[in-house]
Amino acid sequence: MSDKMVTIFVDGHATVVDPSRNLLEACAQAGVNVPTLCYLKDVSANASCGVCVVEVEGARSLVRSCVGRVSEGMKIATSSPRVLRARKNAVELLLANHPTDCLVCARNGSCELQSTAEKLGVRKVRFPRTRKPATIDESTDGIVRDNDKCILCGRCVAVCSEVQTVSAIQLAGRGIRTHVATFMDRGLGTSPCVQCGQCSVVCPTGAITERDETEAVWKALAQSGRTTIVQTAPAIRASLGEALGMKPGSLVTGKMVAALRRLGFDRVFDTQFAADLTIMEEGNELIRRLTQGGKLPMITSCSPGWINFIETFYPALLGHLSTCKSPQQMFGAVAKSYYAEKAGLAPESISVASIMPCTAKKHEARRPEMRGAFEYWRAKGATKPGESYYDVDWALTTRELARMVKRAGIDIESLPEEDFDDPLGRSTGAATIFGTTGGVMEAALRTVYEVVTGKALPSLDFEAVRGLEGIKKAEVDLNGTIVRVAVAHTLKNARIILDEIAAGASPYHFIEVMTCPGGCIGGGGQPVLIDLEKRLARNKAMYVEDLRLGMRKSHENASVQALYADFLGEPLGHLSHELLHTEYAPREV
Amino acid sequence: MSSTATAKRREVSLPEVIEKHQGRPGALLSILEEVQELEKFRYLPETTLREIAERMKVPLAQVYSVATFYSFFNLKPQGLHSVVVCRGTACHTRGSLELLEASLKRLGIEGFREDEENSVTTVDNFCSVRTVACFGQCALAPVVQIDGVISSRMTVGKLTAAIDKLRKGGQK
Repeated sequence: MSDKMVTIFVDGHATVVDPSRNLLEACAQAGVNVPTLCYLKDVSANASCGVCVVEVEGARSLVRSCVGRVSEGMKIATSSPRVLRARKNAVELLLANHPTDCLVCARNGSCELQSTAEKLGVRKVRFPRTRKPATIDESTDGIVRDNDKCILCGRCVAVCSEVQTVSAIQLAGRGIRTHVATFMDRGLGTSPCVQCGQCSVVCPTGAITERDETEAVWKALAQSGRTTIVQTAPAIRASLGEALGMKPGSLVTGKMVAALRRLGFDRVFDTQFAADLTIMEEGNELIRRLTQGGKLPMITSCSPGWINFIETFYPALLGHLSTCKSPQQMFGAVAKSYYAEKAGLAPESISVASIMPCTAKKHEARRPEMRGAFEYWRAKGATKPGESYYDVDWALTTRELARMVKRAGIDIESLPEEDFDDPLGRSTGAATIFGTTGGVMEAALRTVYEVVTGKALPSLDFEAVRGLEGIKKAEVDLNGTIVRVAVAHTLKNARIILDEIAAGASPYHFIEVMTCPGGCIGGGGQPVLIDLEKRLARNKAMYVEDLRLGMRKSHENASVQALYADFLGEPLGHLSHELLHTEYAPREV
Repeated sequence: MSSTATAKRREVSLPEVIEKHQGRPGALLSILEEVQELEKFRYLPETTLREIAERMKVPLAQVYSVATFYSFFNLKPQGLHSVVVCRGTACHTRGSLELLEASLKRLGIEGFREDEENSVTTVDNFCSVRTVACFGQCALAPVVQIDGVISSRMTVGKLTAAIDKLRKGGQK
């Protein structure tokens, strides 16, 4: 909509800007970063915080720059005494009802309220607290909400309803009683919340965070006689560096491995091994559905927020989901069965921690059916009465791992590059790209094409499914059969794809769905304060890693081949069914 | 409750109310308003909110948001009678706090905090006491509304007498 550029004057300096820009963006273009606590580009501009005010010549009152529009010749003062006073007052009023336990808050150091108060020079709060204390919502495995720390910016509500179309939360009440609420204030656990954690990424304060499980992991690391195994999701190598102060998109694979060893993990393995394994199972499942008349389109099942979503909102379509467990869960099941056997370890003495870009992974790990290895050993009579264990003991977010690394005093940048341990640390480029939207599709196509046609792919790069567009489509010729595929990320886009299926109008055979914007690189457990630029940087890093790894096709992973030869037999075989596949059930809310 | 509301309760069903308003701007608000009047104890039970959300295809959290924003809506059963005390500035300066306290005492209600909630109901659902910000009758302050009828220049004596009359089944 930029038909004609306009000239505005920001603090007296002429700037030519696009008229579709809001004042906040226009001021940024002029080199002035107007502070804000509620604005979220492309998601939310509700002018609720009152911090982004500027003075516009001719306007009666101060203008909130996130919703103000530019016009020709507009004269803007961004730091007049009146503006500075109003901003400081706005933040002081927010602080009046905000706890002052910043030193012990999970967001200490990454809190936007804290940094804004600092920037605006707030040195005391003149106003008394007026709000009643809130109860903490700990009703889910993944997310903790503390409304005491909430500043009512509305970002979480916007992301939950606009980006994810889940609408688990809304502002409820009025005046001093206004708060972010679930239906009947019963907590996220009984709401349609899918635990994607996007709310925790956009929250400016510590009001919404992941459930911190680092203490349990520290304890296991210190326990003698316990073998601690860690697995890292693909996207972590492109975001852990950023979480520790490096440039967004920094690829830190080797340093991450070194850091995990220094934290004391006995084996440093890779979820990417299980991603390659997923491709073997899911690829063959797709071929079977295509050739033997199974339910189509088949949809990927790696993203646990997405699983929660379809179980809640589209239970009639559950048959379209691949029965494959996610790589995290495949890893856990294999680690405590195959690997335990191979390494001569008692499975109950193994703890598996996973590092995930995700809050929903915490919930996935606690699903009652995710005890594949335990069932495997129980069938062999190798479990004790009353004993039970999960395949994955804890799923930590990128943010939690970053906290552990900081706490241990590890300087990630100075660490050497180290390699993952064998055999569950070996992986291919196909597994790496699982971390970004389109990656699972591309990885599956690299393998399915070669298995079906018996020919090597002319090019491994399926450009049509790359990039951050909401829904991507492609066609692949498999020996004369045209396979139509689609890739969707964010649940809003998933809904479009599902509505097509429900209407009987879906043209696709195979669909990849990722819950979060950009896929796992933009996951709900990733470093906060994310924007499109950071997503693009992390996305790019995934494809750099794809090329760096050399092997780029899952079926060429020698460790996965050995797993089939020595243990599982064949893809979709009996043991695979027991350990690597699952079923889904409708969820009532 | 007025006699027309009682009649409506028998004639109109929830799906009909929804159908009447569905698609119009502000439909949710109108539906909640009408449906609350259908309830004997003038409130919106959880099952009703759920049914409205499902039929209108509106998220539960949004229905809850609207129902909790407007003080007109009740999520708890209300009394068969109502005493609404105006707590606006004019009424306040002319003693509406005493009126509020007197009505609560006369009805045997304890522990009501007007900074935390704006209505309270006797355990037997006989009567609700509410506060409002202003009736717009400031010249006649203090005003109290009893079962929908506004009385001006209210006194503690007149108010307790009126409440006693409700008890004896005088009004209504």
